[in-house]
Amino acid sequence: MSTLQTAKKSFMNPYLAGVFLGLTLLAAFLILGAGLGASAGIARVAAFCEMCLLPGHTLNSEYFGRYGENPLSYYLVFMFIGVVLGGAMSSMLFGRTELTVERGANCAAGRRLTYALVGGLLVGFASRMASGCTSGQALTGTALLLTGSFVFLVFVFAGGYAAAYFVRKQWHD
Amino acid sequence: MIDTLYATDALNSPKAFFLALLIGLFFGIFLEQAGFGSSRKLAGVFYFKDMAVIKVMFSAVVTAMLGLSCFLAMGWVQVDAIYLLPTIYGSQIVGGLIFGVGFVVSGWCPGTAAAGLASGKLDALVALIGALLGSILFSEIYPAVKGIASAGDRGVLSVFDSLGLSKPMFVFLFVVVAIICFWLCEKLEKAKASKTVHVSSTFLRAFSLILVVFAGALFIFPTSQETGADERSAAAVDLGDGAILISPELEKNLLAGVEEAVDHIEPTDLADRMMRGDRDLIVVDVRSPLEYNRFHLKGAVNVALPELADHLLPYKNNGLIVLYSNGMTHPAQARDSLFRLGFRNVYILTDGLAGFMEQCLKPASVRSEPLSSKTAKRIQAWRSYFYSKADARAETK
Repeated sequence: MSTLQTAKKSFMNPYLAGVFLGLTLLAAFLILGAGLGASAGIARVAAFCEMCLLPGHTLNSEYFGRYGENPLSYYLVFMFIGVVLGGAMSSMLFGRTELTVERGANCAAGRRLTYALVGGLLVGFASRMASGCTSGQALTGTALLLTGSFVFLVFVFAGGYAAAYFVRKQWHD
Repeated sequence: MIDTLYATDALNSPKAFFLALLIGLFFGIFLEQAGFGSSRKLAGVFYFKDMAVIKVMFSAVVTAMLGLSCFLAMGWVQVDAIYLLPTIYGSQIVGGLIFGVGFVVSGWCPGTAAAGLASGKLDALVALIGALLGSILFSEIYPAVKGIASAGDRGVLSVFDSLGLSKPMFVFLFVVVAIICFWLCEKLEKAKASKTVHVSSTFLRAFSLILVVFAGALFIFPTSQETGADERSAAAVDLGDGAILISPELEKNLLAGVEEAVDHIEPTDLADRMMRGDRDLIVVDVRSPLEYNRFHLKGAVNVALPELADHLLPYKNNGLIVLYSNGMTHPAQARDSLFRLGFRNVYILTDGLAGFMEQCLKPASVRSEPLSSKTAKRIQAWRSYFYSKADARAETK
């Protein structure tokens, strides 16, 4: 692990990384006719998990029921798999892969993981509420100049900055 | 002209799955390269320590926005070939707020958590499990929250229309604001001596200049090409010679009709009548010739508002006249004017062309509501009729 860490390369110039992300998004518009998305893939996997346990209940529920009998058969599920594979390729090539719980030096792993779970739950819930996340709404929708996506973006930052103070200790060194 | 998978209703084909995987691969690579496989770096934006989120996100949005605007303006792709998310204020305000809280608490959003998981971050794995549970929770309590999730539904709404600006003007202002943010971020990080990727001011100057030039170049194109542009300038519709007799009785009848919405025709009804080739039906597109040439309902004629009364005189109280535009403002005003001139057979298309697209021409595969196979077949029939190359699209190629 120590050799990996010494070989750790620094991240890309953020503006160039942004331009490349923007070009990826543009490619999605021109090829798929739809932008990027991540939370829909998660929701489809969630529906699939529920379906394995309670097939009748899931199919009859008003929300997950819309996904039909095979919720994984959806283009954004495949995009999500692509993101994981691409992220793994990039982090491995640049020596950044490391099994770890990222946190401040003075924060116990348990606290950090609890925050991750609770925050993740809110993110998953909110993504369904807004029909999209930072990818589908904040990136895609704003690039398409859609009013609702700008509204979403503004309120994401409002919520984030309002709550930041209360969870700051997880990053304390 | 680019035919996207969405436009050809092939978004749920194996080909689309493969291409989505490939696009996701690049998405993941650049998220990781940007440093978004690290929750600490992501959360940094909320403590003004590491502003990478702002820099990367705004660069990405501006790049895609300018790129797509260019493709649209050149006519290489049509706006209806791209899926546009509706504006639903309730869902996006409440969803945005909760999302923001969840983002800062967990340090992850869905896409970045995937990149974080890929780099071995266990907190990303836990956040993703949380997101799965959150999705299930939403589905379970959906009947209780669907009121919020559908409150303030405005359909597809452009931000430049909402703000009353032209599209190039909004894009230009947005680019300028993004550039100001970039410089402020660099200044802030310097002041806090944050350990972030160093960007030289020469690079930032060149980057800013390129973006401004690109955004400025979009002013070359005429602005009325995009949807919705005509509805705002709808202040006055003058249909005749100005000498209109206004009687209280007539106005009463007119308003009674408005109240009962007898002056509306549903998109599905119109679609069926047009496909059947109803002989006594005349469909009038009252948008600009530019927009008409880009796309119009097959069989519709293009008539400018001032010429409407003259043009439609032969059809006065004879057959069925349907007016449509992108929205409903222009046709409704025109219909009222024609009513005053004695026309009793003028109808407006409910929710305009936008509603027609949504109800009749939106591919079955991207609809969220469950569809019977009969409905899916009808949609397919409408799509193949209204998108047939003979009329609607071929002209713009």
